[in-house]
Amino acid sequence: MPEPRVTFASFGAITAAGPDVSSLLAALRTNTSGLRANERFNSPRFQSNIVGAALRSSDDNPAYELANTALAEARKNLGALAIAPERIGFVLSTTKANIETLERLSDGRPCSERARRHLQPELLAEDLAFAHGARGPRQTISTACTSGTVALQQGAKLIQRGAADAVYVVGVDHLSAFVVAGFTALKAIDPVGSRPFDRERCGLSPGEAGAAIVLVRGDLAPAGIELIGWGSSNDANHMTGPSRDGSGLALAIRGALRTANLTATDIDYINVHGTGTPYNDAMEAAALRTIFGETCPPVSGQKGMLGHTLGAAGVVESIVCTLALREQFLPGTPRLSNIADGMPSSLVKEPCPTARLRHVLKLSTGFGGVNCALVLRHG
Amino acid sequence: MDKLVITASNIVNADDARTARLGTRFGRMDLMSQLALLAVEPFAPQFESIARERIAICLAARTSSLATDAEYWKGRDNTGGPSPTLFTYTLPSAALGEIAIRHRITGPPLCFVGSSEVLLPEAAELLRLREVDAAVCVSVNVVTPTLADWLALPNSASACAALLRTGDVAGRAVGEFDRDLEALCHYLGAQ
Repeated sequence: MPEPRVTFASFGAITAAGPDVSSLLAALRTNTSGLRANERFNSPRFQSNIVGAALRSSDDNPAYELANTALAEARKNLGALAIAPERIGFVLSTTKANIETLERLSDGRPCSERARRHLQPELLAEDLAFAHGARGPRQTISTACTSGTVALQQGAKLIQRGAADAVYVVGVDHLSAFVVAGFTALKAIDPVGSRPFDRERCGLSPGEAGAAIVLVRGDLAPAGIELIGWGSSNDANHMTGPSRDGSGLALAIRGALRTANLTATDIDYINVHGTGTPYNDAMEAAALRTIFGETCPPVSGQKGMLGHTLGAAGVVESIVCTLALREQFLPGTPRLSNIADGMPSSLVKEPCPTARLRHVLKLSTGFGGVNCALVLRHG
Repeated sequence: MDKLVITASNIVNADDARTARLGTRFGRMDLMSQLALLAVEPFAPQFESIARERIAICLAARTSSLATDAEYWKGRDNTGGPSPTLFTYTLPSAALGEIAIRHRITGPPLCFVGSSEVLLPEAAELLRLREVDAAVCVSVNVVTPTLADWLALPNSASACAALLRTGDVAGRAVGEFDRDLEALCHYLGAQ
C-alpha cells in the first residue's frame, strides 16, 4: 500500500519580520530585513547588538509565548478539520527552550514556576500540546540548527506510518544573553548584521522566532503544498565547523531526492541554510556544485532578514518555501550586496515572480556536523 | 521486514568516565558526551563491517544539555566571556556529533530530548524503511547538584546504548513492545 501524502495544511509564525505570516510575506515581497540594533545587547560582552528580535511581551517565559503565538495562528488558519485529539501528534523543535530561566536562576532573579518548567524542552512540548489539544504521539527534537527540518521529517513519518492523522510541528528559540555570549565567544557574529553569501560576510546575526506548521494526511486536507522528501546526514568531521567539501550536506540532499523520487534537474528553487559565516556558506556552495554542477537552480536564504533563529529556523524557512510555492515567486537574499567568489551564480538577491515553481529543496546544517534536506512540492 | 536484533549493549556511569583513557579530545568533552561516547565504544568492531553512511545515531538526552548549560553560564563574568569550548556542548546533539566523529558515522542523526522510549521505535522505523543497516541507540542523563536543586530531579550521570541491526545476525530480538532502552540494557548486561 502506498504511504499517504503529507500536506502543509496551515502555518503561523512570529519573527523579526512581524507578528504573523502576512507580515513575513510582506517582508519577503519587499526583501526587508528585520535585523535591528537591540539595547539589550548594548554591551562589550556581545560582539554586536544587531539581532532579529520578535515583538513579544513576556520576559519570563518567551519560548512559550513565541511558540504559542505561532501555533495559535496556524490553528486559526487551519479551518475545520475533523481529527480526533488522539490522532494529532506534536513535534517540538528547539535548541534551548526557555533558556531565560537558566539565566534567572543563575543570577538569583525570580522566575515563574511555569517558566522554570519550560527550561526543560519536553515539558514545554507537553504544555503546548496540551494547550492546543494534541493528544497523539509527542516528540522533542534537538539536533542543533537542523532541528526544525528534522522535526518536519519526523512529523511526516508519524503520519506516513499511521501513528497520527495530523501533526503540529512547532519550532522555537528566543534571543538570550546565553546564546549571544556563546556566539560572541566563538567570534561568529557579524558586527554589522548577517550578510549571507556576500563578499564581506563574517558571521551570523542571532534571531528569535516561533513557527508552526500543521501537517495533515493528504486525503484529509485540500490539495496544497506537500512534504515529499527528506534526508539527513552527519559530517563526522568537526564539532563547530562544517566539512570543507560539503560532502555531508550532499549526502543529505541525495537522500531527500531519493525519498522524493526526483532527480536534481526536478528542483526549481533551493532555500539554503545561509548563516553568513564564511565556512558555512562556502560549504553549502560546494555541496550545491556537487549535486547540481554548474546549472544550479535559483538559490536564496533569509537569515539576513530574520537572523539565525536556531531551533525555529528550519520551520520558519520551510514556511518561506511554502509561501514561495503558493505565491509563485522567488524570495530574495536580504543584505546580500556583492556575491562572493565561489558562490552559486544563481543566487537571488531580490524577490521576483517566477513562471513555474513546483519542487523546492530546503537545506539546514548545524553544530556537530548535522545536515538535513527536505523536498516540498506544489500539489 | 527482517527481524530486528540488538547485537550489543552497554551501560556506563560517571566512574567509567573518570577512569577512561580515550585521549585528550575526550578530556575536553562535557560529561554527557563522555558518557555517550563510552557507552558506544564496545560497538566499534561491528562498525567495521557496515558502510558508515548506512549507520544512524539515535540519541535521547533526558534532561537535554542543562547540566553543561549551567556550567557554561557560570563563566559569564569571566574575562573574555564564557568558554567557547563549553558553548559547543550546550546542545544535546553535541554528544551525537562526538560519536559520529570518533567512528566516522555519516548516516542519519536523530536527537530527542526527554524519555528514551522513542528511541527503539524510531530506530526500527529507519531500519524498516531500509534507510540504514544499523542504528546506534543511546540514552544519556546527567543531572548535577545545581540542576537537581533547580528542577527537583535526582542526581544522575549515566548512559546506556544498544546497537540495532536487521538480518542474519546474532543477538536479542526486539519486539514491537520493547520501548525501555535502559531496562533492555540492564537485562542484557545481567545475562
